[in-house]
Amino acid sequence: MRQVGRRLGALVLGATLLGLALLASLALGARPVALPDVVGALTDFDGSPDQIAVRSLRVPRTVVGVVVGLALGVAGAVMQGLTRNPVADPGLLGVSAGAALGVVVSVVVGGVAAVSGYVWFAFAGALVAALTVYAVANRSPRAPITSLVLAGAAVTATLGSITSAVLVVDQQTLEQYRFWAVGSLVGREVGLAVAILPFVGIGLLAAAMCARGLDALALGDDVARALGRNLATTRVLCGLAIVLLTGAAVAAAGPIAFVGLIVPHLVRPLVGSGHGWLLAACAVYAPSLLLWADVLGRLLIRPAEVPAGVVTALLGAPFLIWVIRRERRSPASTRSLDPAVPGSAPPPPPPRERAVA
Amino acid sequence: MAAVGPARLTSGSLLPYRHSLGGVRNVAVCGVLAALLVLTSTLALSVGEFPLPLPEVLRALVGLPSSAELIVLELRLPRVLTGIAAGAALGLAGAIFQAVIRNPLASPDLIGVTAGGSLGAVAAITLAGISAVWVPVLALVGAAVAGTLVYVLAWRRGIALSRLVVIGIALGGTGFAAGALNSLTSLLVAKADITDAQEATVWLTGSLHGRDLDMAVPPLLALLVALPLVPVAARTLRALSLGDDVAAGLGTHLARARLALLALGVGLAATATAAVGAVNFVALGAPQIARRLTRTSIEPLVASALTGALVVTAADLLARRAFAPVELPVGVFTAAIGAPYLLWLLTRAGGVR
Repeated sequence: MRQVGRRLGALVLGATLLGLALLASLALGARPVALPDVVGALTDFDGSPDQIAVRSLRVPRTVVGVVVGLALGVAGAVMQGLTRNPVADPGLLGVSAGAALGVVVSVVVGGVAAVSGYVWFAFAGALVAALTVYAVANRSPRAPITSLVLAGAAVTATLGSITSAVLVVDQQTLEQYRFWAVGSLVGREVGLAVAILPFVGIGLLAAAMCARGLDALALGDDVARALGRNLATTRVLCGLAIVLLTGAAVAAAGPIAFVGLIVPHLVRPLVGSGHGWLLAACAVYAPSLLLWADVLGRLLIRPAEVPAGVVTALLGAPFLIWVIRRERRSPASTRSLDPAVPGSAPPPPPPRERAVA
Repeated sequence: MAAVGPARLTSGSLLPYRHSLGGVRNVAVCGVLAALLVLTSTLALSVGEFPLPLPEVLRALVGLPSSAELIVLELRLPRVLTGIAAGAALGLAGAIFQAVIRNPLASPDLIGVTAGGSLGAVAAITLAGISAVWVPVLALVGAAVAGTLVYVLAWRRGIALSRLVVIGIALGGTGFAAGALNSLTSLLVAKADITDAQEATVWLTGSLHGRDLDMAVPPLLALLVALPLVPVAARTLRALSLGDDVAAGLGTHLARARLALLALGVGLAATATAAVGAVNFVALGAPQIARRLTRTSIEPLVASALTGALVVTAADLLARRAFAPVELPVGVFTAAIGAPYLLWLLTRAGGVR
């Protein structure tokens, strides 16, 4: 009972932080707006410049920020559970880069203009990237963390080079996509959030459905099977959730990294590692992280802006370093990411990494 | 190194220095690489928007009056020379890093050195009041600081390669992936005025477009310093490859030797980055290609440098002509080829076979 109370308390704390983030996101920026004016803009619009700024600029980007943050946080938690790997994140593992390539190709080459059109290309790109990283990391004899991160970096670099080859052809488009390509909430419209909402909804549903499967998976494949879990179903549901959530988030805000990495680590000490509570907590905390990052980006170099994706990378990199240093010296056994292959394969050779100096 | 044992035994000699410089195969490979490099460079001088016949190009090169004089000497030659210098520096730097840390993944691209160099150079380009003269200097400082930082952060009772690489990616970012340094760089680009931003953007992808000879000076200087040291470096690397105990027994001062070699590698990578921008994956790929060609057990230094120069020159030729009249930055090509190569490398046991 005390556990439940503590977890509920964590969710309430998260909701409070989210409320503060919403207020900050509406009030702060190149043109600070007093709180009464913010409230006035929402309830009693009088057309003053401050209120126009709030209604036409800040409300849209805040709404988009909430939806995108939600999607990225939950996607990160699902990825960490599925790969049983603490460094999984849609941005770090190249899934976002795949979605970004899909968007750029469909918009620049294919001439698709509406979000409802190019979001499908984002899904396709995310799917291809996710499968590639998963397959490569699975075949790699290295320690799981290293292989996932390296495979993610390599996939990101491959897809990123194609993206920039497409963009560089046309200076105008490059100018337009330069900020989108690092992940940003600038100039987003509410319609964008509405357009991706159904996909985020289905993704969240899929994530919720695989929560118990992820709990079982955390105990290892054999135990999970013994508990009567259908691992294939869980994996497919997880994959669906990851692709839908990441694809939708990237289609709206560009490839924002590290949100999906940080949030699950932050909330695990508060709600434990059961995936039901974990996913719920990520859904509450991730939007406020992204909103705070966005607000920080607006304040850092006023009146110019730092894209939110840059801020999350600056916050996320030290965090990743902390996660890596905290990991116990990687054990000699190299656990495969997907040991579900029947008739377990002979153990791979230990990773050939020696301490140098 | 999986290949060390059998290769050394079957070579019929236990002398560790045998392959380092003098191996017949090594010399032959270097000769072929050099010939290919000359061929590619000449080709790069003759093709382009205005195709020039080879005799005209050669006449211009040796100083005879020629119709191609302006295009060859003023436009194409500086570009080709810069590419050769930067490519050689990158290949050599990669070989040194990989041989010292004994793993093909330990290239400057992956452990933050290139990202640090980029940040320094972009700072010099975009921040007001810093003249272009400082680009190589700040690139060098950035690369050295980033390399040191990654090394220190990854240190915990020794350096495990996995930590080194993951922290390098987190701190630096690789290619087009966001890391802390890469995002600081994009912050500078976002803040800069539009002309500086454009210059920095092209530069960040890695480009040889519009390079004049001044640009080739820093990597050439670094190469001038490094090349005379190659015999010594090769011998030290050979000793290091035998394991710490044997190397110490052979009279190598381990810590000092590693530090000196890594400093040389950082200098080479940083000056190359200063000249052509963040051309990714050359330092990663060139030494591995060279090692497979020469079949030596450690990365061959001279052959790696030649491979690097060849790769950059060929990639730039492709980048210029593949989608003509559109010209792509060379970095797009090296990443598009090098990153899948890294993926392939990941699926191999230890990346060495």
